[in-house]
Amino acid sequence: MTKRQTRLFFFISTGLFVLVFLGLTVDTTKQVASLTHSDTITPQVKAGDHVWHKYNCINCHTLLGEGAYYAPDLTKIAKQRGAAYLTQFLKDPSRFYSEERDRRLMPTLGLSNQEISDVIAFLGWVSNIDNQGWPPRPILVSGSAAPQPVGERPVAASTDPVALGEALFRSSPPGCSGCHSIAPDVRIVGPSLANMKQLAEEALKSPKYGGEAKDVEAYIRESIVNPSIYIVPGPTYSAGGMSLMPDDFGKTLTDKQINDLVAYLMSLE
Amino acid sequence: MRYKSQRVAYPYFAVALLLYGLQMVLGLLSAAKYLGPDPLLHILPFDVTKEMHTNLLIVWVLTGFMGAAYYLVPEESRTELYSEKLAYVQIVVWTLMGLTAVIGYFFGWTTGNKLLEQPYPLKLVIVAVMLLFLFNILMTIKKAGRWTTTEGVLVGGLVASAVLYLPALGSWDNYTMAVFYRWWTVHLWVEGVWELIQGGMLAFLLIRLSGVDREAMEKWLYVIVGLTFISGILGTAHHYFWIGVPSYWLPVGDIFSAMEPLSFLGMAIYAYFALRRSGFSHPNQLALHWTIGSAVYSALGAGVLGLAHTFASVNKWTHGTLITPMHGHMAFFGAYVMIVLAVITYAMPSLTGRKDDRQSAVAMWGFWLQVGGMFGMTMAFAAGGVAQVYLERIMGMGYLDTQSKIRIHFVILIVTGSIFATGVGLYLWDFFFIQSRHALRVMREQRERGGVPVEAPSAAPAPGE
Repeated sequence: MTKRQTRLFFFISTGLFVLVFLGLTVDTTKQVASLTHSDTITPQVKAGDHVWHKYNCINCHTLLGEGAYYAPDLTKIAKQRGAAYLTQFLKDPSRFYSEERDRRLMPTLGLSNQEISDVIAFLGWVSNIDNQGWPPRPILVSGSAAPQPVGERPVAASTDPVALGEALFRSSPPGCSGCHSIAPDVRIVGPSLANMKQLAEEALKSPKYGGEAKDVEAYIRESIVNPSIYIVPGPTYSAGGMSLMPDDFGKTLTDKQINDLVAYLMSLE
Repeated sequence: MRYKSQRVAYPYFAVALLLYGLQMVLGLLSAAKYLGPDPLLHILPFDVTKEMHTNLLIVWVLTGFMGAAYYLVPEESRTELYSEKLAYVQIVVWTLMGLTAVIGYFFGWTTGNKLLEQPYPLKLVIVAVMLLFLFNILMTIKKAGRWTTTEGVLVGGLVASAVLYLPALGSWDNYTMAVFYRWWTVHLWVEGVWELIQGGMLAFLLIRLSGVDREAMEKWLYVIVGLTFISGILGTAHHYFWIGVPSYWLPVGDIFSAMEPLSFLGMAIYAYFALRRSGFSHPNQLALHWTIGSAVYSALGAGVLGLAHTFASVNKWTHGTLITPMHGHMAFFGAYVMIVLAVITYAMPSLTGRKDDRQSAVAMWGFWLQVGGMFGMTMAFAAGGVAQVYLERIMGMGYLDTQSKIRIHFVILIVTGSIFATGVGLYLWDFFFIQSRHALRVMREQRERGGVPVEAPSAAPAPGE
């Protein structure tokens, strides 16, 4: 090969691949609107995008897996923890985490109420982006969704409501396991559900209980669909008399899914 | 130094190295925060130290590139620089911009856009300085009416770097598109046009240090940078897997980014053959060390460790974990830090008027501690990253719980990072207190002799001409 030939190789191959890259870019800009549901980028989502940048969130967290590795990924956080919790968290992260226990703490940023609801709207929009199904399994902030050893799993998982309920409990969305532990006395954000039956019985007996459930099963169902009817006492469970748990599971889950979850939670004694 | 105006490179190298030192302080501080608790949480939180750490890197490496170009272009084009004064004005404005950015970050003046955090007015200053720089370089070449392939590749890389910074000035309502175009700057810099700069500097150093035939070196340089673009341009796709763009980017990223190690491997082979033919006889042993080191570490860090997590089927699990800094640290150090330090080491004896090329033991220790420390840091990130992938991404353990399980790797990171920073300290010590002091002595002697230079500029052609 001569120098002239290698120079030609450089210029021709570079020109060719630049053209291919630009072609793919043109196509991407056409498709991205539907993949990211850009019709749902409301002024509030845009304002939240601005808040995200203004407070330099990307230099601790990752979003769509991109950013810094000092704090959890937030791609699906809006689906995992819901607006009520995120609002309280952003007002004062130290209420939920401590440097002594977790070694790391998000500083209180002093966001205004408007900024908080804007950035949550932005994160909600991000959580709906069609990004090839990433992450392949939920990335949790704390706690664990570690599956049980294989031998302990029910054999006919496809029909057993308890097994289906457990699978759903560990999926995200709805992301139950992101906030509720099923180990005794382990508090992630919401109460541990290790002794769900006992918890339900205590609630039903409590004079503060104002719901309509008469038995444990009905109580669990009611707590999923309308979590603020009865607030379990605890430091990170509620704010202003309202539960921090998302209150839209009645809409986002099917009746069958709720039945499965109830069946699973009933099995925790 | 064959042309007087090459001396403008010195302030560029000095500023670059000072910022390198500052970068180390902020890197160690950031690493310490991984262990926690953080007593500086409310004064200097992680997001600030981290953005200072990465921005200082970008600014000082660019400063080094510019200094290297001011040293190299007159020698290649055989002429004095178009304007020395312009080069001095440029370094002053550039340094002020860099310091303003760092101080601004402390007060929260940031765009919060990873690696492109520079606020808009500073971005405009960056563009202006780059244009000033390119004007000076291109006018020099025009004045000489002569250019070599080596400097052509280097200057081509610098021109393309300036052009690719332009997307960073835009803004997009759709976050996905903002990420998409951010990589046009970041990826196409470090895995594209900066490799041209690295390749140009490497060719220059190999020709000078080994005396190998220029024609052969420049012929293969075209092949190497050709491979860089064949793989690197469409290799951008490996950043597009999970951001909300069409699925064809997955196979494109798989195929082309898997080819990215080729150009780095090519550079390592290139260095090997150049030096095998001529031996390691050049008296500037330290510059040889840095040059070969750059070829080896970029093949390892950018090539092999990049390949380790570039396939979509692997990246699905490793994306956004400590596996990324494992690759990032060694790649940046190998490809860009080491090549800049190689040029500085090569140029210093002539910039400071030394008669011999021998290096101090301090500087040699600086080399080995940096190389060893970086290897250890890479291993710490790798072990921590692999554990994180299994515990957090595959087993489903929470992020915070996983981080506490892998604490030991952060301890190792801090220990090896301290070794690395000590190496940087020794290099700086050698630059400022051994070599620069020598330069001052030479200047004093010159003044005492009434302005007569100690040694006449060499008229003999440099090796490889």
